[in-house]
Amino acid sequence: MSVPKKTEVLDEIKRIRIHGLSDARRLMEEYDILTLAGFFVMYESKNQELPESEVISRMHTVLDAMHGTLREGLEHPNRTPSRMIDGGAAHMDALIRGGGSLLGNQFSTVIRNTLAAAENNACMGRIVAAPTAGASGVLPGAYLTIADAHHVAEERIVQGLFVAGGIGECIALQASLSGSQHGCQAENGSAGAMTAAALVSLFSEDQEAIESAAAFALKSVLGLVCDPIAGLVEIPCVKRNVMAAVNAVASAEMALAGIRTVVPFDEVVQAMDHIGRDMSSSLKETSLGGLAATPTAVRIAAEFKRIRP
Amino acid sequence: MAIFDVMGPIMIGPSSSHTAGAAKIGYLAQRVYDKPVRRVRIILYNSFAETGRGHGTDKAILGGILGLRVDDPRIKQSYDIAAQEGVDVAFEQAIDPEKHPNCASITFTDPDGDHPFVVEGISVGGGSVKIVGINGARVDFSGKHNLLFVTYRDVPGMMALLGDALGARGINVAYAQISRDKNTGGAMAIMKLDQPCPGDLADYFRSNTDVTDVVTINKLGNEYERAEED
Repeated sequence: MSVPKKTEVLDEIKRIRIHGLSDARRLMEEYDILTLAGFFVMYESKNQELPESEVISRMHTVLDAMHGTLREGLEHPNRTPSRMIDGGAAHMDALIRGGGSLLGNQFSTVIRNTLAAAENNACMGRIVAAPTAGASGVLPGAYLTIADAHHVAEERIVQGLFVAGGIGECIALQASLSGSQHGCQAENGSAGAMTAAALVSLFSEDQEAIESAAAFALKSVLGLVCDPIAGLVEIPCVKRNVMAAVNAVASAEMALAGIRTVVPFDEVVQAMDHIGRDMSSSLKETSLGGLAATPTAVRIAAEFKRIRP
Repeated sequence: MAIFDVMGPIMIGPSSSHTAGAAKIGYLAQRVYDKPVRRVRIILYNSFAETGRGHGTDKAILGGILGLRVDDPRIKQSYDIAAQEGVDVAFEQAIDPEKHPNCASITFTDPDGDHPFVVEGISVGGGSVKIVGINGARVDFSGKHNLLFVTYRDVPGMMALLGDALGARGINVAYAQISRDKNTGGAMAIMKLDQPCPGDLADYFRSNTDVTDVVTINKLGNEYERAEED
């Protein structure tokens, strides 16, 4: 009896089911797949019954849309009808141009670009909800800005987006990506973990490093609540995108430096799930608690209810 | 979930439920109405009413009614587009604890306000929506299926006729619902199909003298995937 080759085994698989990142990493070894990106391309291809070329081509469309949202956010004034968001990216741009950056222009550019993308979302721009609209500034702001600064080839950037998507999928499978279910830890927390892992994947194929980066980013924001003023995706959401972006950069650098997570990523996600379930519903996108319940927020909300074209 | 549910959809911000979902409700509603939109009255309920203005829920629903996809930047200018196309638009806001937190009721009428056609939709999160009412009848469908709507005079045998004709073309019915309106003697059948209903089959149903209207809606993808072009 001849042993089937691995490619034949893969051809016969119809669906791939995983429960988390540890399953994904086990299957990578089983199927001899070298990168997490390669695994999640196959995962999507099998489960959605699409050729891998089509799956990759769709991610190029996602990348184009992310570049588009950065461009729009940097070009437009970014002012919302409530005026709570009013040109933050332009202010950061002026700071950079004026030589006021505290840590160097690249770091300030991550802040500026994340503001631009998150503000573009608040201003009804065209965005990629990755993983959600409320946290849509993090990947463009941190991941694309750093990839572009290092002149990473487009194919490789797309591969990293599959790492991001795969990490998000592992969170969705074990907890949630929704602020109304698990608070902001599930939105900007997940975005930060996805971004940290994707960043590491640009510079290292070490699976331990990728997993550690995602774990660091998520651990640091466990318990973060969703308490938007007047229910709008403005305050504190836009600045929390910036927090998630810089947290992702720090997490990626620690992982690339060789620091490893003690608690495996899946267990961090499970902790996030438990915390989300314990969280009061007043802190899960209902705008009944937290910042949304401050006297200032209550006043703003009262002023801002009537629909006017 | 799929990787592209995590890495998407591509949409107009700021909220998947209050903007993208709202646009999808409007889009599905006008597809069900299936006539040129001249005058429309929209009631936003509960959270749609409370936070709709800041989320552009009104612009998004109107954009969908005007046929715009969830990622179409013109959603932001939907009031202007409605004015250019001569569509008469009015919004109301209401709180009704009986209704879903993110609910909209859309009433299409003739320019003089006659012949109301009412579609009610809810946004259930992550950009997913459901149409829950058509002209008072309780329904339950999203853009995730191929749909066939047939309104007809309430005579026996209509379901058999529809089912036989679909079966003869190898089209499986995944779900079917019928309801009737005692006042008008009219009935409505909603079917979710495994494949889209071909145009000539829809025409065949229309040719039946008891049938008053046939509408087909093909499955919508993440950003509608140009549903009606294929």
